[in-house]
Amino acid sequence: MAFQGGDILCNAKELKEKAKNSLDPYKYDSSELTRIFYKKKESLKEVEVPLFIGEKYRIVFELEALPKQVEVQVYNKNKESKNRKLLFTSKSIGADKKEFSFEISKTRHVYVDYIIPPSEEGSYSGCAVFMVGYK
Amino acid sequence: MTVKLLIVPFFALALALVSCGDNPEEQKNQELIDGLDSTAAMSDTNHIAQDDEVTYNLPSALQIAYVFKKSGATFIPSLLNKKDNSSKYNTSNYKRAVNFGIYSADLAYCLFNKKYQESKEYLKSCKEMGSYLGLNQAFESDNMAQRFDKNITIEDSVVKIVSNVQLKTDIMFEQNKQKHITVVAFAGAWTESMYIASEVYAKDKNKKVLASLLEQMLLSETIIKALKNHQSAETELPALVAEVTKINTQFNAIASVKTAIEKDEEMDFNTMTVTDGELKSITELIKTLRAGMVE
Repeated sequence: MAFQGGDILCNAKELKEKAKNSLDPYKYDSSELTRIFYKKKESLKEVEVPLFIGEKYRIVFELEALPKQVEVQVYNKNKESKNRKLLFTSKSIGADKKEFSFEISKTRHVYVDYIIPPSEEGSYSGCAVFMVGYK
Repeated sequence: MTVKLLIVPFFALALALVSCGDNPEEQKNQELIDGLDSTAAMSDTNHIAQDDEVTYNLPSALQIAYVFKKSGATFIPSLLNKKDNSSKYNTSNYKRAVNFGIYSADLAYCLFNKKYQESKEYLKSCKEMGSYLGLNQAFESDNMAQRFDKNITIEDSVVKIVSNVQLKTDIMFEQNKQKHITVVAFAGAWTESMYIASEVYAKDKNKKVLASLLEQMLLSETIIKALKNHQSAETELPALVAEVTKINTQFNAIASVKTAIEKDEEMDFNTMTVTDGELKSITELIKTLRAGMVE
């Protein structure tokens, strides 16, 4: 991982292969690399993940390529919904963890929200990866 | 008095166990969330600057086929797209991507029905379509073909091998900055899976197959949104969005679906009623969409 003008280079292959190591015994289904841009104000980036209701899933996060830690929140409804339920937050597992996972079932959608902290000096970026596995 | 005191905690414990489900990891998640400050747990993100562009992570053809197989769906080989057709799709990025998805769905349908020889042939079709999209490396690394042959009768092993190819193609699309191709390919895989499911249901009238088909239809909304994010990337995409939207509109017009949407209820397709007329209008749209893709 090299810094370049305040940005961290995103190596999709390296990050996804790392995440894959934590997926077992779940089978690989899909993965998403999200570009995270740090702005002057705290910001939010959302990824919608459709799931099949009767299936068991593990979602692995790989946040190594972020210059500054983001908080991951996973909800049952999107950011526009007023009565959405928080299903997982990275706050619960320690703020400095770069790789973690959680398991979920009995839901048709999850919404992964990256809460991006403000940047103190200038703008810079990095990337976050998550991977979905099913059993 | 003693009995009463014991009963209350017992019910509280029973309720807690029921609500937490049977997965220890999920239970742990919930305990951790419950332990957070209540305002954090019901986190209101309104004060945060919102990034308008939401992105979408779509499932794999393999997973759709896995869920579909669990419904007890039978195997009808005549539903598969002809393997020989692959060479005629090397005409545009759209045709290449959409048929890459179609062959991926056919491969997955063969795989979960233990049709190993057919699986091998459809893997070859995927590889050919993949080569048109610059994915050679994904199909050629780690002695994939040899490992597939060696494990051909062990379902779990071949599923893992194909899942691994899926991961490699996802990485390559990412590296080649072809994210829109992933979405188009998924639209192809989804259309093929729905086509297969609707034809299998027409033949067997298995209610579980119908439930699985309806479950797949739910994905239409996410596909539309994902395609719209990349609409200008290929000239054919606005027409594809329009066709998937028609399917989504017909699906939402099913009386039982409409009621569930209005009441904001979770849909249970095992108990919901769908008339033959409602289904026919959707399956006709699926057939038309699929025919346009494979022609």
